[in-house]
Amino acid sequence: MQAYEGSRGSSRWSGPGTLILWSTTTIAIPLALYMAFLYAPDERVMGAAQRIFYFHVPAAFVTFFGAVTIFASAVAMLTTRAPRWDHWTLATTEVSWVFCTIVLLTGPIWAKAAWKGRVGDWIFDPKLATTAILWLLLTGALLVRRAAASEELGARLGAVLGILAAVDVPIVHKATVWWRGHHPVLFAPGKRDALDPRMRLAFLICTIVFFLLFGLLVALRRQLAEVEHRARAAAERASNEGRS
Amino acid sequence: MTSYGALFWAYNLIWAVIAGYLLHLILRLRGVDRRLAALEREADRAQPER
Repeated sequence: MQAYEGSRGSSRWSGPGTLILWSTTTIAIPLALYMAFLYAPDERVMGAAQRIFYFHVPAAFVTFFGAVTIFASAVAMLTTRAPRWDHWTLATTEVSWVFCTIVLLTGPIWAKAAWKGRVGDWIFDPKLATTAILWLLLTGALLVRRAAASEELGARLGAVLGILAAVDVPIVHKATVWWRGHHPVLFAPGKRDALDPRMRLAFLICTIVFFLLFGLLVALRRQLAEVEHRARAAAERASNEGRS
Repeated sequence: MTSYGALFWAYNLIWAVIAGYLLHLILRLRGVDRRLAALEREADRAQPER
């Protein structure tokens, strides 16, 4: 792997870009909560239970988008071997894993109301199964870094598993169309948009907020990976100098 | 839908996961940042001696 040419001194994790993201997200979160809980009307059949839609679906969108960014950074990392691409791959994988976990945790709670099951029941559904596979691949991509014999090998294996996770995303998206199941098809060509305009606006705002959160978390996680890399290199230099 | 208890936990769970992860990142970043600054100060002090 190439040596990282970073700046000396403390990290720039409170740089202008991150500060703008921080402030925008801080303002946007209460707005999203207002839109989801107070502005959007109750759904006719599911009532208040439907409001989890404003968080569950944006979390899924962010997970899918995260998988695309993992794919791009993992391919860049495998071709250039540059540490900065590894930092991007690690950051996007970990943050996507967090959002995928939210999808898997909130799904059953919504399903309890919509499908009349119990929380904790695993109802077999192609969309649920393929999302669980996505979560396992992301988990594997993170764990393999700790288990690998060297940092470089871990980065390479993590990138490969990240690419596999990204390949799973179109399968998750198409699972209900291809194999049917309980999960509703939200977006498909020719499908009529049945959302109330207020629900649509609330959904749009919540989706934007989740993307802002994704950006903020990836920015922080990438900076953490960069600082950890520099700290490891500095510690190695110090131990080499101590020996010589 | 007879109880809103599950929903209450679902909505809180989302923000608890995000807030917990954010806090974890900030604390880790601060810790590593301090360690790096200490290592670099040490390296600067060691350099003039050689």
